[in-house]
Amino acid sequence: MNYSFDFQSVTRNFGPLLDGLVVTLQLTAAANLIGLTLGFVVALMVMSRWAVVRWPATMFVEFFRCTPALVQIVWFFYCVPMLFNVFLGSVTMGILALGMNLTAFNAEAYRASIQAVPREQIDAGIALGLNPLQRILYIVLPNAFRASVPVLLTNGIGIFQQSALVAIVAVQDLMYQGKTLATQTYRPIETFTIVALIYFAVSFPVGQLVGYLERRRAGLAG
Amino acid sequence: MIDRATDPLVSVSGLQKAYGALQVLQGIDLTMKPGERLVVIGPSGGGKSTLLRVMMGLENINGGSITFAGKPYIHAGAKPAKTAIDFQVRRSIGMVFQHYTLFPHLNVLQNLILAPCKVRGEKKSAATERANALLTRFGLGQKATAFPSQLSGGQKQRVAIARALMLDPKLMLFDEVTSALDPELVGEVEQVILQLARQDMPMMIVTHDMWFAKNIASRVLFCAGGVIVEDGPPEQVLGAPKEERTKDFIDRVFHIRQ
Repeated sequence: MNYSFDFQSVTRNFGPLLDGLVVTLQLTAAANLIGLTLGFVVALMVMSRWAVVRWPATMFVEFFRCTPALVQIVWFFYCVPMLFNVFLGSVTMGILALGMNLTAFNAEAYRASIQAVPREQIDAGIALGLNPLQRILYIVLPNAFRASVPVLLTNGIGIFQQSALVAIVAVQDLMYQGKTLATQTYRPIETFTIVALIYFAVSFPVGQLVGYLERRRAGLAG
Repeated sequence: MIDRATDPLVSVSGLQKAYGALQVLQGIDLTMKPGERLVVIGPSGGGKSTLLRVMMGLENINGGSITFAGKPYIHAGAKPAKTAIDFQVRRSIGMVFQHYTLFPHLNVLQNLILAPCKVRGEKKSAATERANALLTRFGLGQKATAFPSQLSGGQKQRVAIARALMLDPKLMLFDEVTSALDPELVGEVEQVILQLARQDMPMMIVTHDMWFAKNIASRVLFCAGGVIVEDGPPEQVLGAPKEERTKDFIDRVFHIRQ
């Protein structure tokens, strides 16, 4: 290979990349806010005893789990304005698409950890005279939230990475700024290497945190 | 409340319980007087634990009824899902399970005061004071701020007993509370139960530990195939059983122990 690296042409233009990172972090934060709250509501709906509540929620979850995130983003961007006559900025669209995607995955995380609360825990609550609402508030949910934290964090950081897909609909995130910079500088190798390193620098600590939480939880079990 | 010591504390009549096609309790009749310590023994799947779970109101029933201190609190409905349970009466009964069932997200003290504060509306300071006194009595004074994961099996089970006692039960149910413990930890839990027995706490105990059964029982039931096969003082049921099935079981159990 006869290529001379020139990282300076990228580092000189670090400003736009940092602007892009800020947009990416905003997308991630907003999508997580949606995913963490709405995901919980959807999880409760999926577990509802009434089919009219259960079915739409299940369909919603399965739709987002069984289609590529890229297709979802493109679909939101092109189809929502035409179908519903709603015109939103591309950032809002990106947040909605990522948020809905995360909602589906988080709903599954919540559902799994709620259903994993052992029957004995609930029996103990009954034996102590707690009513059904108290059993949910003081036993089931605290147990379930603790169990779901590592999965929620993994999903959340997954969305940070997936958010690179919104560059395709012209959201000026880190990936979009990277593409622009690569075109301007004719330095795709250097640019995308640095872009990858930035994504890595944010994701890696979160991955380590998840590992730590899981080890701690395994140590606490029993 | 019970006026005379001869009035039954609990009376079970015609109790039936099925899991699908499997008939687990086939018409149990039983009366228990105040101050009695009933030990229920018998082969696995004989209905011992189910009887306790039904008495705690954890299971629907297919037929029969149960009265506590003269008040009917569980009776069968048209179908199992319609089983009627009086929650007020049920609060007089406490239960400890085989697998500790401490709440893992709460420390020892919080485990103890959760129900008193939330169910009875007791002040946190008052409940904490009572909890600390109980923990000290059970040799757990240093463990108030520990989490269940930091305790040994024996300590967990003692905390579970203390937690049940926080609600001042008039009857305690112990469902194989030492079965999950390492052998060297069994003693400390049995000592706590013996301590309660000396204070005349009425209790029903399901156990496989015949030494413990002999030491604590004022009366022993041998339960098999969903019926009470034999019912009598420990010297009779454990020492010289009248029924052939009881004799077989006792022989086998003591044979294994020797």
